[in-house]
Formats: sequence, C-alpha cells, structure tokens
Amino acid sequence: MSIMEDLRREEEKLLRTERLPHVWCPGCGIGIVLNAFLRSVLRRNMDPNKLVVVSGIGCTGRAAGYVNVDSFHTTHGRAIPFAVGIKFARPDLNVVVFSGDGDLFAIGGNHFINAARRNHDLLIIAVNNFTYGMTGGQHGPTTPTGAYTTTTPYGNPDRPFNIPHLAISLGAPYVARWTTYHVNQLQNSIHKALGMKGFRVIEIISQCPTVYGRRNYMRSPLSMMEYFQKNSIVKNDATFEEMELTYNGKIVVGEFRSVEDIPTYEERYEDIIRRAQNEGGD
Amino acid sequence: MTENKKFKRRATVRVLEERCKGCWYCVNYCPTKVLVVSEKLNSKGYHPPEFAENIEENKVCIACHLCELYCPDFAIVVEELK
Amino acid sequence: MTEKHLKEGYYFWSGDVAAAEGAIAAGCRFYAGYPITPSSEIAEQMALRLPQVGGRFIEMEDEIGSIAAIIGASWTGERAMTATAGPGISLMNENIGLAVMTEVPIVVVNAMRGAPSTGLPTLIGQGDLMQARYGSHGSYEIISLYPNSIQETFDLMFDAFNLAEKYRVPVIYLLDGLLAHMYERVYVPPREEWEKRIVRRKRARKGQLPYEPDEDLVPPMPLIGEGFRIHATGLTHDERGYPNLTPQAQEKLIRRLNEKILRHEREIWKVEEFMTEDADVIVVSFGGESRAVKAAVKKARKEGIKAGMLRLITIWPFPWEYIRKYSADFIVAELNYGQIYHKVREYAETKVHKLNKMGGEIHTPDEVLKRIREVSGK
Repeated sequence: MSIMEDLRREEEKLLRTERLPHVWCPGCGIGIVLNAFLRSVLRRNMDPNKLVVVSGIGCTGRAAGYVNVDSFHTTHGRAIPFAVGIKFARPDLNVVVFSGDGDLFAIGGNHFINAARRNHDLLIIAVNNFTYGMTGGQHGPTTPTGAYTTTTPYGNPDRPFNIPHLAISLGAPYVARWTTYHVNQLQNSIHKALGMKGFRVIEIISQCPTVYGRRNYMRSPLSMMEYFQKNSIVKNDATFEEMELTYNGKIVVGEFRSVEDIPTYEERYEDIIRRAQNEGGD
Repeated sequence: MTENKKFKRRATVRVLEERCKGCWYCVNYCPTKVLVVSEKLNSKGYHPPEFAENIEENKVCIACHLCELYCPDFAIVVEELK
Repeated sequence: MTEKHLKEGYYFWSGDVAAAEGAIAAGCRFYAGYPITPSSEIAEQMALRLPQVGGRFIEMEDEIGSIAAIIGASWTGERAMTATAGPGISLMNENIGLAVMTEVPIVVVNAMRGAPSTGLPTLIGQGDLMQARYGSHGSYEIISLYPNSIQETFDLMFDAFNLAEKYRVPVIYLLDGLLAHMYERVYVPPREEWEKRIVRRKRARKGQLPYEPDEDLVPPMPLIGEGFRIHATGLTHDERGYPNLTPQAQEKLIRRLNEKILRHEREIWKVEEFMTEDADVIVVSFGGESRAVKAAVKKARKEGIKAGMLRLITIWPFPWEYIRKYSADFIVAELNYGQIYHKVREYAETKVHKLNKMGGEIHTPDEVLKRIREVSGK
C-alpha cells in the first residue's frame, strides 16, 4: 500500500465518520483545510490520544465535531483561552485551535492578541472566509473593504485585519498564509508547524460560495477557487502592504515567519514552579 | 499535458457517494480527466462524480491524489493498482 | 524541589486569603483570573501559593478568558477555580452556561460588592444572589454557597469543590466585600486530616458514553488525554456528546441537568439554625450581613422576644424546606432591594417582611432589632 493510500485509510480513523456528511455547504473550503490538517497529523505520527482540537462558534467552529480526538466546541470567541487552560494544565498534550476569522479575530481578538503575546504553545488554524457564514453572510473583521455582504449592502466601509502582520507583531514564532487552492503547501505548512513550539498561526483563505461568493461576483465554488488560483502570489518575505488583502485583489501567501527556540509560557512557568519550591524557607 | 504522451494506469477512484455535495473540484482538478459528473443522485440530491476511465482517450488515473486533497467532503478514495 | 503545604495551626487571614488557602487545601491546582476589587487578593495568594504546591496560576486578559481557561483545565482532571466580583461575573456568565451544559466542575468565587455596574467596588453588596442562579441564559440549576466567617470561608471551600466534582456543575462561591477584606483567626487542621475531606470526581469507565449518566443522573467524567476521544459541545447533545438539535434531545438533556441537582438538594443544603426552634420571628440572612443579625437576635431574646436566625449557607438550590417547616413570621435581611425575600415568600405559609439596605454597609444590630420589634409587635 502506498503512503498516500495509507494516509487516506488512517484519516478515516481520525474522523467521526458516523457524523458525515458534515454541515458545511457544497464547495466550502473548511473541509479542505480539515483534510490537510488530519493528513499533517498523520504524517507527524502524533498520538491521537494526546491531541486536542478546540473550536469556537461558527462554520469553522464545527470542525471540532468531526475530529475523532478529544475535541471541544466552546463558546463564541473563547476557543483560545479554553485551549490555554488545557495546555497550561497538561503541557504534554498537543493542543490545536481550529476556528474561523470572526471567532478568532473579532469576538475573540483580545484572546488572540494576549495568548500570542504570552507565547502559549498552541497551533492556531485560522480559516478566513471573509464573512460570518453561519449567521448568513454578514461582514466580519476580515471582510475586504468594498465587499458586499448582508450588512454591507453598499459595500464594506471597514478595513480588514492583516492577520499575518498582526501575528508577527505579537512575536508569534510561526506565521503562514495559504489558500485552499494550495493544498500541498498548506499541508506541508501545518506539518512543519506541528513540529514546532509556541504560538503558531496559519491563516487559510477559504471560499464561502454560499453567502460570500455569490454577492461578490463568484457564484460557484469553482469560481472562488479560480480567484485564489489566479491571484495568489507566493512571497515569504512579504511586507506589511503586500500582506494586506484587498477586494478581489492579489493574495500574497507564504511562510512569513519561522523562528525556533522562543520559550513558551508553559516552559517559563516550569521555572516559576521550581523557584517557588526552592526559594526561601517555608 | 502533451497530446501524444501515453499515461500509465496507476489507480482507480472510489467515490463515497453519500458524502458528496457536488462541488466538482475533483472533476475540475483531475489532470487526466478521469472523473465526470454522474447521472446518479445521492440521498441529499447531489450528483456524485463517477470514475470514467478511457484508455483510448488517454483518460487514466495517474494516482496524483489531487481529487482526494481537494475534496472538502472526505468523499474520495484513490486506490492504487497493485 | 519540595512542595510547600500549609502546616497545622492558627492563621490570621482575610476572607480572600482564606478562600485561596481553602481552595488549595481542597485540592485546587489551577487558577485563571483577572484582578477585580474586592477579590484581587485571592489571585495574589494563588500566584504566590499555587506553584509552591505544583499548581498553576495564570493571569488572563479578562474574565471571559479566565473562565474559559478553567473550564478547559477542568477537562484535564484538575480542580480549577477563578475569582471575581460583579462586573467580572457578568462577563463570565455565558461560559458558566457552557460549564452547565457540558457538565464541567469549576468553582467561581464572586466577592459581591455594591452594584449594579461599577457600583461600590470596595464595599459590601448582596445584589448578585439571583444572578448566581439565573445569570446565564436558559433553564438550569446550579449550586451556590455563601460563608459568613473567615474560618467558614476556608472550610466551605471543601464543600464547594466536592459538590462541583460530585455533580459536575459549576459552584458559585459567594463572598462579599466585608468577608473578602475582613481578618479573623482561622484554624487549619493537619494536612492528613484536611485531605480526608476531599471527594474526588467519579472516573469514566471505558465503553461508557461520555454523557451516559449513572443512577444519580451524573455521568462520570472522561478526561482529556486518556483515549476517550471526548467530544463536548455547548449545543444540545446526546449521550455521545454529539450535537442533536431536536426537541426530544433538548427535553431529555435539560431535564436531567436540572434534576441531577434537585434530586440531591437535601444532601447539598447547609443552613445554620440559631434559636429558631421556639421562635415567633425568624430573620433569614446570609454572608456578612448575618453577623449583625445574630447579635440582634441575642438582644431580642434578652428583651423577651422569641427571635431566631436562619442563616442560609447554601443559597442555591434554595433550601425551601427550612422555610416551610417554621410557623414563625419571617424577616429577610439582605443588602439589596429584595431578592431572597421573594424565594422565602414562595415557600412561607406565614408573613414575610423585608429588611433591606442597598449595600455599602451591613445593617447595625439595632436596625435589625428595631425590625424584629416591629414584626413581633413588642
């Protein structure tokens, strides 16, 4: 049996197959990201019993419900602090936050910022579909300026987050961005990040044909994929301006930061425990 | 894909039809075009893809596994020939 | 490295310090919190003491992050706690609902201050009693305890953790601005003795579904990292933990979440009955306020008025049988516009009177005495 066949067979065991088909719409990119994630886990030979997946609320928030590992579908925006609690209490576990752009950067933005600053040992898989899909396609913190959504009927006046730049500014040791078109690069990126430590952020630009694409000149799943295909540029040393996303404009992807050996919060706290127990009398 | 290059048959594609939602990424991204939209409907009302190998037309599965990687619904299994 | 545990002896502690030490003695090894008056000293004590016993303390970015972190930590098997006050508990309420729905044992200390809003940060209030019970959305039961001395603040922490673990439910541990900052002497027994008070949570058996309840309606809790492949969701779920968005699943789950507490309410209830046996007037009271009430009851007795005090230590589930059993008139003394008053009225077959102050200070014994005289007609 070839490696790829083996991966596919093992992947079924990491899925709660009795719950398939999943809730995501035809052509939704979240399934592609989940597929890449599970393959990366298998390629790393990680013990599934030591892997924890935490999601927030929204379309991507449902990902936790399909992975056959310890998995938690928490409250809106709180996947990161929930994961912090697990990781800090049990540093031997591999904890992955798998959630969407609205969940992680709007309602959960403060947690993202502070968890990155403290450098918790978490992998953040941030699926960015430019919109609040579950609630019907309202604009969110990543909706490009000018885009049409149900709450921006005249075009979006907001400016979107520059997520990789935000993560880099907070000192995150691994920061990358791909689209769902880049299935191999994405899988390799997750695979690499799983082998690193600290607050690792991978943003995946994903398609929401149902509520975003159809209001923004991309009516079918394939037309959204085509947009990613034609407009993506790989540039690992991209500048702030290049990382910014514009309405139906270029998407700069790549591995923007990859740094080893920054101590994690969990590691620094081991030192705190040592000092508390060694210092002074009793 | 050059006109005259003959591809070697390396695999078949099995479709888990009930998981399919008909996005056609697999049909679109298959480099040798061995998948087609079928006439069948699954219980959710989608037309799953069908493995339609045609050796004469040089449509054979080369086991690139791209359909598997692009399928958002875990509905495709590429089975390599022994 | 050696763990540093409390030694037997007498300590002079504030309520906040006693709450922290009580929690650590009761096995708490994980604390996530955000500073807020008058609970901040709990966080300070935890930051100092938890690493000394191999535990972990983290100061989060806000109260929402704090409670999310302790829910996550509790799934690893740790006894986890946070502490806050009014504005913080308001922020935590959504995740208290998550802990109720996913049945995660946690202890949340709320040192009540004058409220609403920022109110009186440093002064006592008792306005969060209904919020403790009804703060999150939906129909659910929760456990809430409320001590009235620094010794009891230490001791009652064992009950708080034990009940949370036994019933897989959040316990709201009420303190108030008076208790939090008041100092008293506390006796700490030897470690062997206090460790006997700890009741550990039921462990899940292999093959048992994660939300398959035992006879007592409580499902044993599987832990992360032990191969159970848990799935927990705040959505309505079935016994596998999988979302099941049907009226039937909702009916079954929500009934059980309520009944697992109500069926055991008599085991949970704790009250102090002081001179109530022959009383004509019973003052219902709790927390810091009850200290003045007790003094007033003693004074009334000296005047020949048959007064008594019923102090609720368990606030929720409401110990209604202790109201029902007396034929005396009731005065409900509380530092709010009338909250527990309504619960007492619900169960009393006699007259129920109010005695309210809006917070900032407790009633003086003479104020309580005056009301006892009015009600008793003497």
